[in-house]
Amino acid sequence: MNYKKLDMGSYQLHLIPTDRFKTILTRVCLRDKIVKEEITLRNFLANFLTYSTATHKTKRELVLKAQDLYAANIYTKVYRAGNHNMMSFYLSILSEKYTEKGMIDQSVGLLSDIMFHPNFEEETFEEAFKFLYNATETAIQGVKEDPTLYSTVRMLECLDQDMPYSFHEHGYMEDLEKINRTTLMDYYHNVFNHSLVDIYVIGNFDEQEMIETIKKHMHFDTFKRPKESQIIYHEKLPKRPKVEKERTEGSQSKLSIGCKIDRLDEFERNYVLTIYNFLLGSGSESKFFRVIREKHSLAYYIYSSLNKLDHLLLIRAGISKKNYNSTIKLIKKLMKEMEDGEFTDEELEIAKNNYITFLKEIEDNESAIIETFLARDLLNLGDIEERKKEVTKVTKGDIMVIAKKVKIDTIFLLEGDVENEGD
Amino acid sequence: MKEIKLVGLDQSVYHEKLENGLEVYLIPYQNKTNYSMHYITKFGSINTRFYPIGENELLKVPDGIAHFLEHKMFEQEDGIDPFTFASKSGTNSNASTSYKITRYYFEGSNSFKENLDYLLTYIHSPYFTEENVEKEKGIIAEEIMQYDDEIDWILDEELRKSLFQKDPTRIDIAGTVESINEITEELLYKTYHTYYQPSNMILLISGSFDKEEALETIKENQALNEATTNQEIKEKKRKEPVEVARKEYSFEFPIINSKVAYGIKIPVKGIKDKFCFNLYVGMILNVLFGLSSKFRERMKREKLMTSFYNERDFVGDYLVVSFYADSPNAKKLVEEIKKEIKTGKITEEEIERLKKVWISSEVVMIDNISLTLDNLLDDIVNYGKIIENKIELYKSMNKKELDEVYQSIDFENASVVYVEPKKV
Repeated sequence: MNYKKLDMGSYQLHLIPTDRFKTILTRVCLRDKIVKEEITLRNFLANFLTYSTATHKTKRELVLKAQDLYAANIYTKVYRAGNHNMMSFYLSILSEKYTEKGMIDQSVGLLSDIMFHPNFEEETFEEAFKFLYNATETAIQGVKEDPTLYSTVRMLECLDQDMPYSFHEHGYMEDLEKINRTTLMDYYHNVFNHSLVDIYVIGNFDEQEMIETIKKHMHFDTFKRPKESQIIYHEKLPKRPKVEKERTEGSQSKLSIGCKIDRLDEFERNYVLTIYNFLLGSGSESKFFRVIREKHSLAYYIYSSLNKLDHLLLIRAGISKKNYNSTIKLIKKLMKEMEDGEFTDEELEIAKNNYITFLKEIEDNESAIIETFLARDLLNLGDIEERKKEVTKVTKGDIMVIAKKVKIDTIFLLEGDVENEGD
Repeated sequence: MKEIKLVGLDQSVYHEKLENGLEVYLIPYQNKTNYSMHYITKFGSINTRFYPIGENELLKVPDGIAHFLEHKMFEQEDGIDPFTFASKSGTNSNASTSYKITRYYFEGSNSFKENLDYLLTYIHSPYFTEENVEKEKGIIAEEIMQYDDEIDWILDEELRKSLFQKDPTRIDIAGTVESINEITEELLYKTYHTYYQPSNMILLISGSFDKEEALETIKENQALNEATTNQEIKEKKRKEPVEVARKEYSFEFPIINSKVAYGIKIPVKGIKDKFCFNLYVGMILNVLFGLSSKFRERMKREKLMTSFYNERDFVGDYLVVSFYADSPNAKKLVEEIKKEIKTGKITEEEIERLKKVWISSEVVMIDNISLTLDNLLDDIVNYGKIIENKIELYKSMNKKELDEVYQSIDFENASVVYVEPKKV
């Protein structure tokens, strides 16, 4: 894929011109070291900025403006990636072939308005503040009401409560209560002056015109770069797992297991680990699904997933309380089978094919393509074509080596009282 | 193959009706990697009274049989189910049943020809036995009971029961635990042979593939060629009166915030251009109640609702407009909705703005092979053909016609359903 990275001084501009799409997606990504006490504030800020602007003072005015630009779609996403916090602003618009001349310029202008002209005026601030306060409160409290999520959150805290992976995604009530107009304003300036900024643009556009448009509207003034590596390593691996249990009502039992992964080289982390996870617990062809769910009917669902930047493998299952011991026993047995190479060459090939299919799905999705270029910078992961080639090199031996580097650290069971008669 | 150019979208659809009556729609893309193939029978949960092929007696099959049949199609005589077959090439496969249709699909990027061939073969190789039918009853009963816990599902069902006196959409797609227990392999075969004739089916493929190769594969498929077809399907329809069944209904459920559903039943029999009629109704609703409406802003400010959206759907000879909301004061909210409909004014400026939004949505959709397929299927199911000039139709919308449609509708023909939190 055609890709260009330009150093614009205060930010890097990544251009991916392609005729595969009729839309243009811009992503402005602000990255900084994650600070636990700032998570709530950062989420709040992102929602606040897209609620209204100094020019479009209410939510409705802002929506009307976006609709006038052929439904320019502006949204934000805030999430943690390893040691860093990522705040992204997205703008999705049509290629001008399907609208009118000048729409790209005006739409990027609206995005810039949202980022650089926040509506801190006292009169209108209150309304936005109240609305966003309630929304944030609901999100924070919602964790407790979602047993699946809650069990994962508690497991990560038990894993190591000082590490960024245990921080709550939606933030904390005590931090929400501290937010007011002044703290929000200060924090806004802090974020926009101290983050590492990357801007990605993908779609059908003229390169030179796009560079000019971005230059015209994106006035970042940030030169500080987070020095700390984004990737989290574990100093030592656990000898035996910790077990924690908590009771809850009106739900199935939710099992969450956190596994720490030892240091890996790049090939291991980027490819071998992915295939290992496919074989072990991701998807309907995996050991977990076939043995624990289908053969033994022990779980309503069970799967594993990777947080590569955290060097963590997470296992999640919905089970009946009475099946807890047999489920754990089987999980350990199946992980041991991976160490012993107990999987066929055909299964290995299917796993690789599944990964290649996953890569091909990316090719039809603008946002996912941007992710691959971001991952290239974060993990030194190749582009889609390189990945397709590299993954075929993974051998059975590679997987057996890696399997020994994955160790269960914490087992968390949220004990529910709902049992299924049928199983 | 006849080429249908989707005006203003730089994309064509190729259509051919085969000798066996199967309607094939191919949507090949230039710049995509993936493909999506959906095989659809015009048979859903509402088709429960019919004359089985070759018989003269009307058969009333148990509610939920379409969904049951969908489950059973995954049973193959060789024991290999379609999921397993598909996943070997990294292809996703699944199926779904609605009121009007049942669909089976493969989505992926590899083994196009093999998958297409397999899809047609397995749909035309039913394998029902007494044993596998009995086994399925437990699985489906559990699925039905799961829906019983989902309030949005129940609310929707109660709204349909309020709006309709006779229409079969009053009954849930999956049927009831009692009704599915009456299903037998013999009933399944009779239903299957009636509705799974190629002449009652549609095949839609979008994405990255060669259209000539696809058509050839379809024409050469043995199971498809051997299937009984071109037999007329005779059904007994129930006539649905214009009046709603219940004006108002309420019930309790263990939820935190109260909910409301408000539905308007609009007769469309006799309306010549249903597509444009639906467009204008959509425009009225969007301007009055959409994301950029003054109404929404005011209701939020007055804390009358937290979530609020509306939908439109053709049900038999009616267009149904439904509103769903979470509201601490649902009665007041419904009063406000009624008042807004009665007194609402729509300006030229608002019409022009909404046109841009809709044009945009067509372009965004055409970029996505699955959404495009769904969009075209909706056209075929609701209007019997592909609407190839949507963007032009949007552009030609105007205030005069909008006002005519607005005035022609009796918005009072409506039902409301309230759900109150159950006190423990």
